[in-house]
Amino acid sequence: MKGYKKYYFNKVIWYVLTLIVAVGLNFLLPRLMPGNPVSAIAVRASNGMTDQTAIQKVYEEYVKTFGINKPLYVQFLQFVKNLFRGDLGVSFTYYPRTVSDILAKSVWWTVCLQLPAILVGWLLGNILGAVAAYIKGAWDKAILPAFLFLSNMPAFGMAILLLFFFGVYLKWFPTSLGYGYDLNPNVSLQFIGSVIYHYQLPFWSIVLITIGGQAIGMRSMSIYELNADYVKYSRFLGIKDRKVVKYVFRNAMLPQITGLALSLGTMVGGALVAEIIFSYPGLGTTLLAAITGRDYPLISGCTLIITIMVLIANLAVEILYGFIDPRVKAAQEE
Amino acid sequence: MKNMIKQVFHSPKFIIGFIIFIFMLLTIIFYPLIVRADPLNMIGGLFNKPGTYISVKDVVQTNEYSLKINTVSAKLNSISEEDKKSMADWLIRFGNVKKSEININNATSLVNLWNENYKSTAEQTGLLAAQKQGYMRLNDKIKELMSNADVYIATKDNNGELESKAPLDSQAFVNTNDILNEKTFILGTDNFGRDVLTELVSAMGTSLKIGLVAGITATLIGLVLGLLSGYVGGTLDDFIMFVTNIFTVIPSFILLVLISFSVGQNARGVMLTACIIGITSWPWTTRSVRSQVISLRNRDHVNLSKLSGHSLPRIISTDILPYVASYVVMAFILQISSGILAEAQLSMLGLGPATTKVSTLGLMMNWAMAYKAPLTGAWWAFVPVILAITLISFSLNLMNTGLDQVFNPQLRD
Amino acid sequence: MGKIMLQVNNLNTKYITRQREGVYAVNDVSLIIEEGKSLGIAGESGCGKSTLALSLMGYYFSPLHYISGDIIIDGRNISSMKPDDVRKQVLGNEIAYIPQAAMNALNPTQKIISLIQDVIHAHNPKASKKDISDLAKERFELLGLPSEVLQKHSVELSGGMKQRTVIAISTILSPKVLIADEPSSALDVSSQKMVIKMLRNLMEKGLIKSMIFITHELPLLYNVTNDIMVMYAGQMVEKGSAKEMVFDPRHPYSKGLMGAIIVPEAGIKNRKLTVISGTPPNLKHPPEGCRYAQRCKFARTECSIQKVEERNFSDGRMYRCLYSIEEFKEAYAYE
Repeated sequence: MKGYKKYYFNKVIWYVLTLIVAVGLNFLLPRLMPGNPVSAIAVRASNGMTDQTAIQKVYEEYVKTFGINKPLYVQFLQFVKNLFRGDLGVSFTYYPRTVSDILAKSVWWTVCLQLPAILVGWLLGNILGAVAAYIKGAWDKAILPAFLFLSNMPAFGMAILLLFFFGVYLKWFPTSLGYGYDLNPNVSLQFIGSVIYHYQLPFWSIVLITIGGQAIGMRSMSIYELNADYVKYSRFLGIKDRKVVKYVFRNAMLPQITGLALSLGTMVGGALVAEIIFSYPGLGTTLLAAITGRDYPLISGCTLIITIMVLIANLAVEILYGFIDPRVKAAQEE
Repeated sequence: MKNMIKQVFHSPKFIIGFIIFIFMLLTIIFYPLIVRADPLNMIGGLFNKPGTYISVKDVVQTNEYSLKINTVSAKLNSISEEDKKSMADWLIRFGNVKKSEININNATSLVNLWNENYKSTAEQTGLLAAQKQGYMRLNDKIKELMSNADVYIATKDNNGELESKAPLDSQAFVNTNDILNEKTFILGTDNFGRDVLTELVSAMGTSLKIGLVAGITATLIGLVLGLLSGYVGGTLDDFIMFVTNIFTVIPSFILLVLISFSVGQNARGVMLTACIIGITSWPWTTRSVRSQVISLRNRDHVNLSKLSGHSLPRIISTDILPYVASYVVMAFILQISSGILAEAQLSMLGLGPATTKVSTLGLMMNWAMAYKAPLTGAWWAFVPVILAITLISFSLNLMNTGLDQVFNPQLRD
Repeated sequence: MGKIMLQVNNLNTKYITRQREGVYAVNDVSLIIEEGKSLGIAGESGCGKSTLALSLMGYYFSPLHYISGDIIIDGRNISSMKPDDVRKQVLGNEIAYIPQAAMNALNPTQKIISLIQDVIHAHNPKASKKDISDLAKERFELLGLPSEVLQKHSVELSGGMKQRTVIAISTILSPKVLIADEPSSALDVSSQKMVIKMLRNLMEKGLIKSMIFITHELPLLYNVTNDIMVMYAGQMVEKGSAKEMVFDPRHPYSKGLMGAIIVPEAGIKNRKLTVISGTPPNLKHPPEGCRYAQRCKFARTECSIQKVEERNFSDGRMYRCLYSIEEFKEAYAYE
């Protein structure tokens, strides 16, 4: 167990470091813009406003937020300090709501949609890959290639197609929002039912895209494992195929788990744009509104939260993997 | 090398991907030569359906031919299924018509039955007032379809009064080949009224260019870093890998958003966007190149060169590079594909290239969504674009898998 | 003659390649092994030793196909059995196999004890975990392996330990015939010695009733096996006791093979070192006559044309050549 501790400790430290870099980037990048960022942003944000006092207020607010009269490192320290207090600034498009307030609501919608969707897609994809490798036949020649084709579609592409076909043409599912517009969020069967109803199209857009990519990877791994020496040896010992196959797929899964961690970042990106298509009340729509509204604090908050989520997910997968693969344990105990 | 190329072209996956890709490439190159219209020319209206549009004035002024065709039945067949069902329903419930007498597929007979038996004043128990009105409107609609009332062409005489020139005969037809002014929109028009097909081809070209530039950028950075990291090793390797790992985990999408936003609308042209995409996707190539270089650096031929006192750049270029080439080519192909995808995603967020001079696949998607194409049923504005993105990505990935199987024989099935 | 554990009569098997061609890897092989005896099979790489081993298991998995011949294990002819029955009743408990480079034969993510459980359950589904665990511990102790190994995964073991573990697992059901395919080739010298000691131990304690030891390292055979058979291009070309084969080989190929040994054994060390030039024939289209004729120093014209059968002698020796013993004596006199 001692070896384990060191392994995990190192991992956590590494992730904390990465987080620091991410925060730094979140802070630094927009401030690298040429020119006086505040006046430029203030001008854009106040575009369309005619009330002079309002424009002045926007400008002052920005100056206060950015504190640009102070040197850069002081600004950064202020930024980090605010971060620890949970203060991500005030949104400009949703003034006077704070960024943290807006995000707190959107985050849950996104997590509840994407986490299950990515997991289900991963699981189904791996099953398909395993079946295609072992049973072959139509699974390998027709179904897998079909899903592979689909996986080349951008997530929002699938979202639009599903929206058009099932939402507009067949009218089976609603085309936007997270729940009926006439309902207020509450814990009632009606509300939950409405949520599930609105959940379908965004959910399946993400799942269908993910299956193909996972399947092809799992299929290669399975074929590789099925031809491994230990499979032949087990057969020579008289062990039934059913048992052997169980071990093959267990071994083939392991790299798939690492693969999941690696592709999480990309998948989340694609899924966010899919959310936008459905005006789903998650981070995707919030981000879009922020970008359209040149709402710098909100953009910064969104990207930071998304990065943190991906980091946590990655860390979780890596921790999980350490428990499952005995080779990791062995390497540590040397 | 020659043998490898021969193998590559025998791999079925590669060939299929290659064919699809070349087909699209040829379309992009040759289509503009044949159809010389400006892709961004706003010819039509908002989401015009695909089809051939002919000048109405020309039709009226061209030679007429008389054809003995029943023009009414064609019009009757345009009655919607829903309406036909309503009619059948009314006839059975209130019109004393037996179910067996109704053939819903024969519009003419249905309409005849309707004309014989429908009375707005009939006893319609159980129907709401609104529904009764609905049936009356349906009846009017049918009457209008059936009317053979004449339509006249009029011109203005010297006093500015309309003088009727000639009636339009229901049996009068024109030969479409005689019409000079026509425009065919194979894929209809988009929200600006641009010909979707022409615009699509042009957009594919631009997107491909972006993918190429992004791919070259990312691959170059990845190659250099991977070579240095893998060959030199030591602290340089540790540092580069540390940075690479960080940028693998931080979603490149986020970096894209941040950088694109910061650069600002004005500066964000096509090429700059491509560069930005390239700068955020190098980690993968770096890792791939580095692992290959590490396995190579202790090989005998490298040691031989080292002993012979060759310089570092020379060793890298002659002993290591050729073996890394296969990985680099595969990574490059994948980068093109992901670059095109990244541009599409950026454009959907409004952070794509800010240009009105060219169109990209992402921009086309963005405009289609902004004008709610799916909701209005204008499938031609987005389905072809999605297909184009998918096909390009698919063909590139197929080629890559084919190459992978050639370079790594154990993957062959 | 003791009880016959394994008898093979005229076995023929082939591989089918991707291009649907047949490679006739095992041709007309016959052998007999008695209880308590071990047979060594020697030959150069690619002569068909491993293919023979696989064929003897009665386990034909594409691309290996059975053509004809009998394999009789302790009176039971397994060539006529259905593959499923072979798997259930014979593989593992009547006849067992130790693969080449056994280190890779273990599933890296499975505990050793778990694998042993699977093996025993495959033949005896009702065995309890405790019984299995006891048997495993007992066996391991008997064979000089630490019982901690049982709880480990194969990644945690050294190469030599892995090999010996594989031997222990293969023999856990006390098979009648054990086929060891190059069991020590991938190991260092001290590990090699441990492996051989272990195999001897198994034989002495009666945990295996007979053994086939396949190797291309001839010096080993002299010390380990009772009899030696030499294989070439899929055929058996000579057979005799270990002593006879090493000191008095008859077939030109055996002679060449034994001449390529560098061994400090008295009587052999003064022999001239020879090398056999050339390569084995293409087994897709095997020659009609003697398969060794192309490389044979003593080949006559009829050697390449005439079919060469085995010559069996009363003292148990066998060789496959057109030459008689007197002709050999004459030919070798000029060496």
